[in-house]
Amino acid sequence: MKISRVIAIARKNFRSLRHDRRTAAFIFVVPLMMMLIFGYTFGGDVKNISVVIVNLDEGFMNESFSWSIISELNDSETFKIVDIYTSEDISIDPVNKSIERVRNAEIWAAIIFEENFTSDAIMNIGSLRQGQPFVPSGFTLYLDRTNPNVGAAVTGELTKDLQLLLILKYHLTPPVILETEMIYGEDTKFIDFFAPGIMGLAGLLVTFMLTIVTFVRERSSFTLERLLTTPVTEGEIVAGYALSFGILALAQSTVILLTGILLFNIQIVGSVLLALLIIYLLGVGSMGMGLMLSSIAKNELQAVQFVPIVFIPSILLAGIFWPLEAIPELLRPVSYFIPLTYAVDGCRSVMVRGWGIEEVWIQVTVLILFALVMLLLSTYMLKRRK
Amino acid sequence: MMRRPSKKAKRYEPEDYAITIEKLRKEFDGLVAVNDFNLRIRKGVTYGLIGPNGSGKTTTIKMLMGLLRPTAGRATILGEAVPIKDKLPCIGYMPQDMAVYFDMSVHENLQLFSELYSVDKEIFEKREEELLKVVGLEERADSLVSQLSGGMRHRLSLACTLIHDPEILFLDEPTVGVDPELRVGFWGYFRKLKESGKTVVMTTHYMDEAMRCDVIGMMRAGRLIAQGSPKGLIEKSSTKNLEDAFLVFSRGVM
Repeated sequence: MKISRVIAIARKNFRSLRHDRRTAAFIFVVPLMMMLIFGYTFGGDVKNISVVIVNLDEGFMNESFSWSIISELNDSETFKIVDIYTSEDISIDPVNKSIERVRNAEIWAAIIFEENFTSDAIMNIGSLRQGQPFVPSGFTLYLDRTNPNVGAAVTGELTKDLQLLLILKYHLTPPVILETEMIYGEDTKFIDFFAPGIMGLAGLLVTFMLTIVTFVRERSSFTLERLLTTPVTEGEIVAGYALSFGILALAQSTVILLTGILLFNIQIVGSVLLALLIIYLLGVGSMGMGLMLSSIAKNELQAVQFVPIVFIPSILLAGIFWPLEAIPELLRPVSYFIPLTYAVDGCRSVMVRGWGIEEVWIQVTVLILFALVMLLLSTYMLKRRK
Repeated sequence: MMRRPSKKAKRYEPEDYAITIEKLRKEFDGLVAVNDFNLRIRKGVTYGLIGPNGSGKTTTIKMLMGLLRPTAGRATILGEAVPIKDKLPCIGYMPQDMAVYFDMSVHENLQLFSELYSVDKEIFEKREEELLKVVGLEERADSLVSQLSGGMRHRLSLACTLIHDPEILFLDEPTVGVDPELRVGFWGYFRKLKESGKTVVMTTHYMDEAMRCDVIGMMRAGRLIAQGSPKGLIEKSSTKNLEDAFLVFSRGVM
């Protein structure tokens, strides 16, 4: 293998990109867009869920537990209270009206406090203190759980506010509580968890797409045939491609990291270099995969058809959005076959948990094997002759 | 003056031959593209392969270049059996399709091939200047290939083939889409190549070009149907030109 020829092939790819500004922009704009869109939309918790409250509670000796809860809900960012009906609105049948509004999907939830809410609560608290049995009283939530995230946010916020009030107002501390100590990710925001996923996904997608399209063009324009009649070997061509597109994957990851740091203030606990090494290996492997599949495609259109085939399982099953544990057992073996799974897990462990090579050597080894196998297979594919 | 090859007068040694082909055969899914033919091309000769489309000219050249695997038979270049990876530096191949990179400039294309052939940087600069003049692209060195006309791309393709000053040249229809004036220039350059001892094997559809070759081989249906100097072939077939001669030899085969 002659290094000057490898570099010549790599330079060729960079030169083509330099003249093809749109493709060059694509390499950097797509991951940036992903970061911005996902970062801002997924960035925080669910907020401003529209709810209607019906408070028919009559209170008890100038005390109203329901209004305390409502004021707590009003202070939280989770809810946007659209209307509050009280006993004065009884003429318009507020309970059924509110439920109807949930049914019509005007609002996500209706929260209903009945007449005796406060008095029942206070009586029960009394019984509790005296050690006597009682039937718990409550208020009702009518919920549109079409979106589980919204559902979880509503019930989570309500439970939290209720417990807080019981402690503050009635000094009812639960006898047993769960103490949580964060081993990792104490200050982790969703974007911190997400950035390594985007780095991996963009690294895979862009190198794969560029290789498959560039290489199909090499075949259809007969430049590949011509290259093969020069002293350059098949291995040198593959190495040149790996070099150039690997470097692109690295540059792209750096841009993603910088955006993450500057715009979203993401935290990187571990070694950035190790994270980038993982992305580089993934990029080289994806390049090889693109090169291999390009020999099956007859034209650029057929080549592009491989993109969703690679992209969809990767985005859904590689643990970018959900942990692997959330993936049905039937599909999980597929996850373990997707190289992106290892890249995302490795990168995340390095960036969020601060792990070093001693801990992520499995992921790194898998990716090295993936890259090697793809390089060898794509060299073999190039060596085949009719 | 063209040297007339006179087979009877002299016996040639194996090392006099740049290319030998013995019973070379290529089938594509049962279709015979090249049908067991023999051919020898001496060093320093300008050899023209002529024949209709599909007669096996390009397939033969591709087998010599190692791009296709022969179904049977044997071919050698400079005494070595194909595929000959380590003899590639002394071979220049110009494919029929303009296999140049459209999203790079003329200069960048030439530079890429010079790098692949490990041409010294200074030598490259000199050759680039010379070749751009030959192919009439000296004004367009920095133009993107996608902005060039088809003929210009073809000329660039020829320049890429010559950039490393190869000993043996395979030119697959080098003058297609080249205007008459430039064609004259091309042939002037081919003559210079011959004078410096290069072996040139080309395919062509133009009979006036074929007339300029030292030896021509007529191909039809994957076979070599006649070979000789252009004038010799015309005399042998008792015709007035190569077209008619080709028709006469074709009939003999069918």
